[in-house]
Amino acid sequence: MAELILVLAIGAILFAIGLYGALSQTNLVMIMMGIELMLGAAMLNLVAFWRYLHPDTYSLQMFVLVGMTVMALEAAVGFAVGTQRFRSKGSVEMEEASDLKE
Amino acid sequence: MNMVRLIILAVLGLGAIWFAWRVFMTSSMVRSALSLLASMAILGIIFLVLEAEFLGILQIMMMATEMSIMAIFMMMYMMDPGGMGNMDMSHQKKLSIGVGIFSGATVILLVAFSDWGRIAIQIPEASKQNYDLGMELMKRSMMIFETAGTSILVAMIATVLPFKNRKKNNQKSTDNG
Repeated sequence: MAELILVLAIGAILFAIGLYGALSQTNLVMIMMGIELMLGAAMLNLVAFWRYLHPDTYSLQMFVLVGMTVMALEAAVGFAVGTQRFRSKGSVEMEEASDLKE
Repeated sequence: MNMVRLIILAVLGLGAIWFAWRVFMTSSMVRSALSLLASMAILGIIFLVLEAEFLGILQIMMMATEMSIMAIFMMMYMMDPGGMGNMDMSHQKKLSIGVGIFSGATVILLVAFSDWGRIAIQIPEASKQNYDLGMELMKRSMMIFETAGTSILVAMIATVLPFKNRKKNNQKSTDNG
């Protein structure tokens, strides 16, 4: 029980740090790093649930694979948006990106 | 309870948290990317300690590649990639710290006071895990896993589309200017 609680607590702290980063940073790449941390924490929780609660249920491991796919896709789409912003505006600062909603 | 594994998990967890914190505390963008790489690699090692060998190795390999690419993009796009100017690139700090602490503390409290039922002691060996995971992907969870493939296709289209009409857009802006 102590191991499960410890791993879930590590996941919670990593999620909180990622949330802080995603909310506080103004740079697109740094915001992406915060999101990556939150996804990493979610994957850690899934592995802990598989290991300590349902070792015979492999759908939990399957969702970790889906999570890794989402991380890669988030990076790819984020960099595409960042490249386009950098080419057109010369910056990836999100405080200067209010024109995106127009 | 395995005390050695508990201590190893605690040490690795502290390492992952320390490097995750360093991501947002250093002014050098390259150090940020490398700190995130270290944090994610330690997560991979935690997967290995939790006996999910396939996922652990996959995590380390994927994150090493992804964070290297991220470091390159950092250097391309940042005004001060080495952090020599000590630029502050953050906003709404108090709100962010408050939300982070509140969410983390809430989850830890819920985790600590939940009834988790029976804890598994024995788990299948690595080769059986891989076989069963493959069977899971090809049988019961095939449709869910297929959505990952569809998502990759959508992401490929989404990453190419912003650049499709670039020439036309540039021409239009030159005409207007």
